[in-house]
Amino acid sequence: MKALKWTGGILLIIIAVALLVSSISAQSDLEGLLKRLDAQNVVDLNPKMLADRDRVLESHLDNDRDRTLRNLDRYLERHGDLLLLEGTHALELTAFRSGPIVSSVGVLLMAIGAALLATVISGKAAVRKAALYAVGIVLLYVCVYVVEQIAGTSSMLVTVLKKGAIYALLAVSMNLLNGFTGLFSLGQAGFMLIGAYTYAMFTIPVESRGQVYQYYAGGLIQFQMPVILAIILAGLVAAFFAYLIGLPVLRLKSDYLAIATLGFAEIIRAVFQYDGLGPITNGSNLLRRFTTFNSALFPFIAVGICILLIILLINSTYGRAFKAIRDDEVAAEAMGINLPQHKSMAFVISCFFAGVGGALLAMYQTTVQASAFKASMTYEILLIVVLGGMGSVSGSVIASFLFIAASEWWLRFLDAETVIGTFEVPLLRSGFRMVVFSVIVMLVVLFYQKGIMGDRELSLDMFKRNGKEKRGGRNA
Amino acid sequence: MPDHVLELKNLTMQFGGVVAVNDLSMNIDKGEIVALIGPNGAGKTTAFNCVTGVYAPTNGQVLFGGKVIVSNHPSGKMAKMYLGADKDKFHQVAAPSPDKITRMGIARTFQNIRLFKTQTVFDNVLIATHLHRTSNLFTAVLRLNSSEEKSMREKAMHLLDIVGLADAKDEKATSLPYGKQRRLEIARALATDPTLLLLDEPAAGMNPQETDDLSEFIVELRNRFDLTIFLIEHHMALVMDISDRIYVIDFGKLIASGLPQEVRDDPEVITAYLGVDED
Repeated sequence: MKALKWTGGILLIIIAVALLVSSISAQSDLEGLLKRLDAQNVVDLNPKMLADRDRVLESHLDNDRDRTLRNLDRYLERHGDLLLLEGTHALELTAFRSGPIVSSVGVLLMAIGAALLATVISGKAAVRKAALYAVGIVLLYVCVYVVEQIAGTSSMLVTVLKKGAIYALLAVSMNLLNGFTGLFSLGQAGFMLIGAYTYAMFTIPVESRGQVYQYYAGGLIQFQMPVILAIILAGLVAAFFAYLIGLPVLRLKSDYLAIATLGFAEIIRAVFQYDGLGPITNGSNLLRRFTTFNSALFPFIAVGICILLIILLINSTYGRAFKAIRDDEVAAEAMGINLPQHKSMAFVISCFFAGVGGALLAMYQTTVQASAFKASMTYEILLIVVLGGMGSVSGSVIASFLFIAASEWWLRFLDAETVIGTFEVPLLRSGFRMVVFSVIVMLVVLFYQKGIMGDRELSLDMFKRNGKEKRGGRNA
Repeated sequence: MPDHVLELKNLTMQFGGVVAVNDLSMNIDKGEIVALIGPNGAGKTTAFNCVTGVYAPTNGQVLFGGKVIVSNHPSGKMAKMYLGADKDKFHQVAAPSPDKITRMGIARTFQNIRLFKTQTVFDNVLIATHLHRTSNLFTAVLRLNSSEEKSMREKAMHLLDIVGLADAKDEKATSLPYGKQRRLEIARALATDPTLLLLDEPAAGMNPQETDDLSEFIVELRNRFDLTIFLIEHHMALVMDISDRIYVIDFGKLIASGLPQEVRDDPEVITAYLGVDED
């Protein structure tokens, strides 16, 4: 009986995923779908059919959904008997017709159904919890997708979501080192730069290299890597540099470590602009034309996987060792924790994800230039970590979306000179945004020192025990 | 004759011109509870720190189970400044870091409690099981080590049961009363699977009732875990009660050693340390 219900739940999930995937692919690939409907290539032989189909595609290209659907209906009505309208084709067609929102909601309902089923059959609290988290994550991704479909990929909201997601990864990776292991490093921008450059250098199409590396005869690298591999390589290269730098630098404590890593980031920035390395790094010129992403789902999925890995790490026995080092190095060592080994591990892992974040940032920006990776970028991320709470992953994630939204969007109006009637609003001019932003940050740090989350995490238990819980657990 | 569990040979620790531990030689046999006592600043904790690898001694050796684990002789600048004896006796140099010494089987507690402050009682003990892990980073992150994780948790819970803190397992370590924090430190040390347990003033800050409980508890631990215990303590009642033998140091130098009764009646100890004849 139990097995039956499990199978049911799993089937629902599989159907949900299949539906979502087919819905997404149907949206972007109507032409392919129409070709698949027509397995015998009758359209090419029948001019009338061809005209009807072209009308559908034309209106689709114009982004006129209503007209597309009308034309599609007419096409199917007139020539339906010649087309394959069963099985997966029918499913794809339905997905296209019902549109992204309806199919996303459908997916969501199915996910909830699957979770409820799992909850009902298994009395285990852990399973119930995992099911709820799974629903939460599905909900989040569906929301992102729907928002993107409604607001458009290049709208401000989606831009903030994309950048916010990438900054969330950067902040969480910095938090892993500064908040969870207690190593105060300021080298984030340097490792991001390494990641961004590694990614960019290896994904520029061979035919574009002549233009990008115009001063260096097309550069040395003459091949293109797949995106996923290049992103992982970006992390690995950053991690490798972190390992080398960590050997001498991790012997230093607190302030000295911060200064040394800050210095390293500045040196890296200079090295990447060095003319002698031009055939590889393009000197101080832009790197461009590498593969980027359109949909916000890409950074959300990539960042989601990375943050999931970091959370798994933090809650593993190694993560506990990191936290022990943060709390008391002497005691940690007396408990048999090898300090140099574990510090190096934390540093390398943090920098791996900084490198991956740098690669995603490069994709988001579509161009990369070493001079942009200044120390101020590290401070931005440090600010997010502090605002969110040192030692809280969810705090970092929340804070990065808030930070990006505020700095890119909500506070933009402060930069515009505004005239109401004949009254010119004082102070509002270019640059004022940063002043206000700094004041907000100061207020937060003065009156809300622990940040948004302190060292707690956002979880289901938090809502359940709200109020009952004594706030005694937050002493310094 | 079997090897001593712990043996110190001419251990000397000199900081600049100050000799904190001076030519200290002693030994502890299996199953014994041995106390190191002396007035404030006599060098007791420094001796502990030399054994556990926090400091590399200036001169002398530490043997654990008959094997030399720490060994040093004055060299460099210290060779000229050195004020102690037996300067050229030990040529071997060995100074393992504290984590390596813990892995050999020597665990300790701290005089000024050093718990992991932001962690729960349970996690404090759980962390100390990390050193015997067989999982690597990848298996741990990908949760391929669930059976090991489970046994780690069971062991931590078992130890909390023994020290009587099972009910407080989800509380923050620093929210416990002082006496319980000391017990938690002991549980944490036991989680590293030691054969020799070093207790640095375990009764400091405890009231008489708690101290009495602690005496029984230490003896019980020794029997239950087949431990050898080496402790520093100011609390004479406790020391006299549970120690098999006592070493007394003053200004870093050993001034007396022997059975509790002998030490108590030693005139030199009385003048140096006890002052009055009863606690």
